[in-house]
Amino acid sequence: MPVPILKQGDTLIVSVQAALTDRDLIDLKNELAEKVGQYRSKGVVIDVSLLDVMDSFATRTLRGIAQTTKLRGANTVIVGIQPDVAFAMVQLGLALEGVDTALDLDEGMELLNRRFGKGELGGG
Amino acid sequence: MGDEPRESSRLKLTDREIERRLRFVDLRSEDLEHIASIRQLVADRAENYATAFFDYLSKIEEAAPLFGNRTVLEQARAGKREHLNGMLSGKYDRAYVEQRIKLATLYGRVGLETRVFLGAFHHMLHVIGLDIIRALGREGLERATECVMSLEKVGFFDLGLMIDVLIDERERVIGLQQAAIRELSTPALQVRDRLLILPIIGVLDSQRAKQLTDNLLHAIRANRAKVVVMDITGVAAVDSKVANHLIQTVAAAKLMGAAVIVTGLSAEVAQSLVALGVDLSKLNTVGDLQGGLEEADRILGYSLQRI
Repeated sequence: MPVPILKQGDTLIVSVQAALTDRDLIDLKNELAEKVGQYRSKGVVIDVSLLDVMDSFATRTLRGIAQTTKLRGANTVIVGIQPDVAFAMVQLGLALEGVDTALDLDEGMELLNRRFGKGELGGG
Repeated sequence: MGDEPRESSRLKLTDREIERRLRFVDLRSEDLEHIASIRQLVADRAENYATAFFDYLSKIEEAAPLFGNRTVLEQARAGKREHLNGMLSGKYDRAYVEQRIKLATLYGRVGLETRVFLGAFHHMLHVIGLDIIRALGREGLERATECVMSLEKVGFFDLGLMIDVLIDERERVIGLQQAAIRELSTPALQVRDRLLILPIIGVLDSQRAKQLTDNLLHAIRANRAKVVVMDITGVAAVDSKVANHLIQTVAAAKLMGAAVIVTGLSAEVAQSLVALGVDLSKLNTVGDLQGGLEEADRILGYSLQRI
């Protein structure tokens, strides 16, 4: 199932609607890498609040997305990780090192705006 | 306790377990014969023995709760007579065991202490034993003693049940109290918008640590918290397991977008953590709760001003 990517100003919003297969994740990664350049986006917010499982592949891919978009000039924030998912991830040692996380979409956008405001991305 | 009064204990025995228990006290067929031979003797005086039991108890201060409640006392008396009849019946089946458990639960409910009960029960057996020896003495002391010993086996079988029920009752109370403590023990409090404090007091075992994590992570979501100050001033000791759990909690909170500040590590706790070699680099620690709140305000962009 393809994941919708919405453009909102300088930001791309990815709303994950259902459990993702590995294929979906890789497609998402490729598409984001493409679109970040195409739309000259400065931020990406990935909302995973509907996911109740996050395995090692998903974690690794999300980290990959964050690093890829960073190289393309956009900051990625993962938002909406559920409490149980968060703790399970920690217990399994699946940390999202170096990736920004926030409570929900609102928070994620705010975090990005702060980044833009501080000019960390070279103006906004 | 808050639950409804129960008629029976949680203790449930299968036929096999009952058989095992009878074997523990070494009850054999000759014992049953002995008991059959004194059945009438004891049955005639069952009322006396029940009275002996309760008279003995009434003189003991600790047994007062039993005598404070008339209906309970009546039930106990009826139960005891029933017990004596059952004891001499030679049939120690599930019905008999259930009677024992029911009576023991009654004792447990009114708070009759095991040691007090043991004293009275022994006294009753003693009275019965003397009567048997008196009645059968002419036929031979050996025979009379054997009868008493056989009855005693049943008595010990009963005691085993009785004590198990009382212990079970006590464990149930402890379980309820533990549940109550668990309920109370980990509140996550919102101090101001986006800021939670989580005071932890008492011993952190792994179950409580798990519950605390659960509570905190859900509270972060419910209150949309951005910063959490976890104060462990009230925790006397932290071992490596608990420390690791705290670190995991902090990491999980971070995944949800909340920063955790740990405050109130006492000198002992700090030293023991260092001695244990726990990697605390991921923990943001501040000396005391005040400092933690100041740090939280700084992160949230508040500044406190005197007006």
